[in-house]
Amino acid sequence: MKSSIQSIFQRYWNPYLVLLMAGILSALYFGLTSTVWAVTGEFTRLGGDILLLFGVDISDWQYFDMVHLQGETWNRPDGWIVWGMFVGALIMVLLSNSFKIRLPQQKRRYVQGLIGGIIAGFGARLALGCNLAAFFTGVPQFSFHSWIFIVATGIGTFFGAKLTKTHWWKGKPSLIRGSTKPTRLNKRIIQPYVGGGIAVLYIGLIIYFFASGQKLLGLGALFGLAFGILIERGQICFTSAFRDLFLVGRSVMAKAIILGMSVSSILTIIVISIYDVTPITQIAALSTFVGGALFGLGIVMASGCETGMMYRLMEGQLLFLPVFLGNIIGATFLAYAWDHLGVYNVLVKNGAKINLLDTLGPIGAISITLLMLGGLYALTVYGEKRYHQKLAIKRGMKVHAS
Amino acid sequence: MQAKLEADFTLDLRGESCPYPVIYTLETLEGMNKGELLQVITDCPGSFRNVPEEAIAHGYKFAQDPVKNGQEYIFHIYA
Repeated sequence: MKSSIQSIFQRYWNPYLVLLMAGILSALYFGLTSTVWAVTGEFTRLGGDILLLFGVDISDWQYFDMVHLQGETWNRPDGWIVWGMFVGALIMVLLSNSFKIRLPQQKRRYVQGLIGGIIAGFGARLALGCNLAAFFTGVPQFSFHSWIFIVATGIGTFFGAKLTKTHWWKGKPSLIRGSTKPTRLNKRIIQPYVGGGIAVLYIGLIIYFFASGQKLLGLGALFGLAFGILIERGQICFTSAFRDLFLVGRSVMAKAIILGMSVSSILTIIVISIYDVTPITQIAALSTFVGGALFGLGIVMASGCETGMMYRLMEGQLLFLPVFLGNIIGATFLAYAWDHLGVYNVLVKNGAKINLLDTLGPIGAISITLLMLGGLYALTVYGEKRYHQKLAIKRGMKVHAS
Repeated sequence: MQAKLEADFTLDLRGESCPYPVIYTLETLEGMNKGELLQVITDCPGSFRNVPEEAIAHGYKFAQDPVKNGQEYIFHIYA
């Protein structure tokens, strides 16, 4: 028994399994609430909340109208998805005794995090969704804007990876001769008790929501918790999915995400046909492409996207405080630029909401979605192979030269 | 606990977030002479998996199993 508990809390879970579960849960969440697992919309609303707090009049900002800025974050199911994710990740971090304040040795990371966070927040909201609503939960809604977003994110990430490789960006690590002593450990372990306490309180809150008839808040809090647990235990990193393919030929995360989306797409089409719910479709326009490319660049600059930064912050990686702040600043600035700086007129107005279900019917939509996901998978495998082939050639030349 | 290994170099990556631990590790190994031993200390949870997996995928060998030391991991890798 002890060993099974240990493997749950001491080890990270297989990312394939985790994303499979996330795919199933997000389809279920859609079936229950007719909304999707998403976070950046709420970040924009948080920005709106802050502006209101400072007495800024935002009543004529169209974007806040569009994302339904009403009430406070505690009264919004989407708000509870966000807070639930933070809490779920924190509980897991504490139960596994892995919280530690981690401060980057390279001070430049804070600046990179803030700037990257702003760009990613701006890009995500311009495209109307981040790696969730315009990617992981967007594809299973058959919203065509997700496919534009994926391609654009891939391109943005490519340039981000190029930037990451430059000397002035990455900096020099501390390399010393000989061995170093590891950190001395504190024998008393208290983190799991704190984690357990938070878990009990939070479950009490979920029960309260359901008992008091606030079903949507309860579902948001419950599913947020589950998503937070999953992304932390699986160390799910959408940023790394494309980036690491370019950087070090690593493909695990990309493959796992594609698998999760495939299962989620199949389940979602079943949910849609049984319960007759309307899929969530966003505008596909030039803004989707520009936003996706900015998002891809920004998340690599910041070392984390809007979801990844959540559990990393809970692990004590303080780099992600400026990233979180940047995400909210970027999203809020987009909300301002939307009508005040003409973003909508230039980039969005000519777009249209395209849903593959409407244009191709259910069989066509699921077939083309699975086909495109298969293509993406093949491209990932190809990218990994190509990286290792190039590496082998480079090494061969080095041996030859010496 | 295995016998203490004397590393030729140590890469102290505590505090650095992904992807920098894996980039730094691979670049350092690339610059070392074949057979030299590198000790890596890292505390970014993402790197607990991607550093060892990518070191092996790039053809390097581990001198011993990774050691977990509280919230950090210690790797010993031959260049």
